[in-house]
Amino acid sequence: MAWEAVYLQQVINGLSLGAMYALLALGFTLVYGILELINFAHFNVFMISSFIGMAVLQLFGLSGQSHVLGGFALVGVLIVAFVATMLAAGLLGVGIERFALRPLRGIPGTVGMITTIGISYILFNIILLTVGAGSFNYPNPMPRIEWDVAGARLELRELLIWAVALVLMLGLHFFVSRTRLGKAMRATAQDAEAARMMGVDVDRVIITAFFLGSALAGAAALIFGLYYNYTSFIIGYTAGLRAFTAAVLGGIGSVTGAMIGGVLIGLIEALGGQVIAVRWTDVIIFSILVLVLVFAPSGLMGRANPTKS
Amino acid sequence: MAEHDTAALRRNTIGSEVFAYLRRASPIAWVSQPPQSRGLIALVALVALVFPLIIDGNDADIDSAANALAFASLALGLNIVVGFAGLLDLGYAAFFAIGAYSYGFFASAQFMPDWSAFWEPFQWLHLVARVHQDGGDLVRFTVSFWLMLPISAVLAAFFGVLFGAPTLRLKGDYLAIVTLGFGEIVPIVARNWPSVTNGAMGLNGVAAPQLFGHSFGIGAQPYYFVGVALVAVLIFTSTRLKLSRVGRAWMAIREDEIAASAMGVNLVNYKLLAFAIGAAFAGATGTFYVAKLQTATPEMFMFPVSVMLLVMVVFGGIGSVWGVVVGAIILQILQSWFLEDLSQWLHALGRLIHVEWLQRIELASSIELIFGVILVFMMLYRRQGLIPASRRVQALTLQQQTAQVELTAPPPMDKLRVLSDLAYHGTEPLLDIKGLTVRFGGLVALREVSLTVPAGSVIAVIGPNGSGKSTLFNAVTGLVTPESGSVSFAGYPIERLPPHVVLGRGMARTFQNIRLFPNLTVLENVMIGMHARLHTGPTGALFRLPGTQREEAEARERCFEILTVFGNRLIPRADHVVSSLSYANRRRVEIARALASSPKLLLLDEPTAGMNPAETLELATQIKGLHNQGLTIVLIEHKLDVVVSLADNVAVLDHGEKIAEGPPDVVRRNEEVIRAYLGRSAALGSAPKGSAALA
Repeated sequence: MAWEAVYLQQVINGLSLGAMYALLALGFTLVYGILELINFAHFNVFMISSFIGMAVLQLFGLSGQSHVLGGFALVGVLIVAFVATMLAAGLLGVGIERFALRPLRGIPGTVGMITTIGISYILFNIILLTVGAGSFNYPNPMPRIEWDVAGARLELRELLIWAVALVLMLGLHFFVSRTRLGKAMRATAQDAEAARMMGVDVDRVIITAFFLGSALAGAAALIFGLYYNYTSFIIGYTAGLRAFTAAVLGGIGSVTGAMIGGVLIGLIEALGGQVIAVRWTDVIIFSILVLVLVFAPSGLMGRANPTKS
Repeated sequence: MAEHDTAALRRNTIGSEVFAYLRRASPIAWVSQPPQSRGLIALVALVALVFPLIIDGNDADIDSAANALAFASLALGLNIVVGFAGLLDLGYAAFFAIGAYSYGFFASAQFMPDWSAFWEPFQWLHLVARVHQDGGDLVRFTVSFWLMLPISAVLAAFFGVLFGAPTLRLKGDYLAIVTLGFGEIVPIVARNWPSVTNGAMGLNGVAAPQLFGHSFGIGAQPYYFVGVALVAVLIFTSTRLKLSRVGRAWMAIREDEIAASAMGVNLVNYKLLAFAIGAAFAGATGTFYVAKLQTATPEMFMFPVSVMLLVMVVFGGIGSVWGVVVGAIILQILQSWFLEDLSQWLHALGRLIHVEWLQRIELASSIELIFGVILVFMMLYRRQGLIPASRRVQALTLQQQTAQVELTAPPPMDKLRVLSDLAYHGTEPLLDIKGLTVRFGGLVALREVSLTVPAGSVIAVIGPNGSGKSTLFNAVTGLVTPESGSVSFAGYPIERLPPHVVLGRGMARTFQNIRLFPNLTVLENVMIGMHARLHTGPTGALFRLPGTQREEAEARERCFEILTVFGNRLIPRADHVVSSLSYANRRRVEIARALASSPKLLLLDEPTAGMNPAETLELATQIKGLHNQGLTIVLIEHKLDVVVSLADNVAVLDHGEKIAEGPPDVVRRNEEVIRAYLGRSAALGSAPKGSAALA
């Protein structure tokens, strides 16, 4: 491949990764925006969701990449898989909020975050101890259709990933900016106390944030499986930290920022691996995390103020 | 003569009984430990020393115990950072790695440059050896384990400061994320830098320590005893630091950074100190651990290790020295002995009752699940951990609680020592504010405000809510940077100085919405106020030389002297956690804390807010008493009777501008003031009515 084509290929890869990170980053940002809580459980809500998605696809009798579907069957199966996975993931997120985090609400400091680390460990080990440490071949009904774009390869599944991510993000944007509950959410993010006094049901807003954030993690998880054709108990940590970096880069608390940050991190991962070396990718991304937090803590679009105490 | 009488009177009213109680009260420092706890420590030490005999010299078990000790050391180090200073570090294993690779590098055959004359002095010092090989001799590093222990500690401390310095502005959870980032970067670098670390395969052939020419070899016993010594030293260091000026400063930062800074604690220095000491513990432990394993791989220092250490600290009790040791040892024993045994029992049970899945359970692999459950459970139900850091204090008896309020001698009291130390004798005004402007974005909170506070005066600042009174205090004490204007204190400009320096110069303050250190006792709070006047550093705290002991004892004495200002309101509660006090008492503690810093000037932000009329009167009398002792006071106050009875001069702020200044009864007839408080119509209508309302 000519070097332009190599880079174009990495941009395509980066956009796919970025779409996934953006969806995952939204979960961090939604919860942080309202509770000022960094939710480590989100990492493994994502991981568990990929197994839920796998189970749903297997219900349709799919296994591996050989059962290729087309037309309405494909669209139908994917819609059902996305909806079911997102719903299950969302309920998982709501359960975590209700049983582990709500009793701790209002306690200052890092208590909430330490709890989410614990939950994350529990989720991680539930999968490790039940399905095991292996890596699983992900059912994928998508036909291998690909186009040649200036020497680079663009696959059907990539277009599909972009489309799904775009629809979900536009939907979220519409929800937050146009609906009544979305307005309540923005009000709570500004000042929970004032919002409560104005009659906003803050509990409901928080549950909604956890539900939506986790549901988007569910979508990201299904995308992960369909993109990489595998899943494993360890995928939560790496993807989660990258998505968190994306949220920080975009400005944690900002919905638009999370989307932009996700795409940027996807591109940085793909191109950074190309330009420097894949084994240094993690160092690049963690350095971005550290540098942004230290020197530009409000990120690209952020309103949050990580230096205030 | 009169002074003498009042002093005697005070001792009598407070009563020798109370002072006796205070001596028994649980100390922050210097009250020697009760004999039974010394006995307990001796017993623990004895058990630790004879432990290898107890378990009959089983090498694998002693090895597990030595590992448990290594993790106890790490937990102690993490406890300094997380427990004492309240800085959540999720990448603590990075410092463990730095210590481990330092020893690994200097005591193995990983890096062997060509021999040259340059190395001869090092060979003479036994730091390197000359290895004969075909095609030229090579250098092999043979630095002694005992030398590397402190060197690794210093190296790790250096990296602690390096990582810590840029991150200190960040608040808790962000700091955690940054440390997590560092914690990830270090093992990746170790993996990708094979010339130094041998990459993912790990360092091999790390030399075992030697003592008097005998190598430790591979038996676990010598390592076990080194581990016991290491833990003992670290427990000693932690305890000494905790019960000192340094430990109090850390706890102040943990409880409330802004208040700590306003009380004279240099946030940057003390946070870095915590990072450095915590990292040093990990560095020394890393050396010990690698010497024991004789290998080091990047996987030994990843995120799960940092989380495991956090679990140990949380489980044992955040901030509790003995707690984290017990937590670490219990979890390690659970991991290496108990879960194995339990799995065996379950297998046997499964075979007995023919249940297939019981025979397949491997509990040892579920240790991380247990860690997760512990974290969540402890956070939800027992945040103070197994052995809480602070002991529960006995509640006051009903008699004490309902005791008649005894106020000390009527003012003038005899002079507090904290107030005579640094009296101001200059001729310039003590505080001189000129043209001070503070802007928050588009909002001008203060516009060209000037105010002069002569030494020995009481100035009241009044004004409607939102008029900029508290902003004035914040700007003067360095919490807010003014846009323009000057503030000079005792003749020196202070408008660009950070809060802890301003306090050091002799200006102390209280906060409108009370910023005490909620989980510390009354005495600890007041002692922290004395931070700037004491000098004990980490070394002093560690060795407790007579000078340090004297300083601390005198500080305690002075704190009690300050508490007597409030009669018997605070003294019986000296030992109580301030969050358990009534609102009025918390206000009193805050004033006592400010007094402890030996101020020339005291800024009181609504000191009587939330007090009933009797308490208000009482406090006003006490403030008057302090003034009579020569203390200059600026107070923000809404209660006009307090203002009138205390203030020589009143300055009125409205919308960030000073609209009037003068003696109280002149100001309260000022039309502009009435308008600011009661609106235009009131000012136009009947001025007398307005002034009546004001009074």
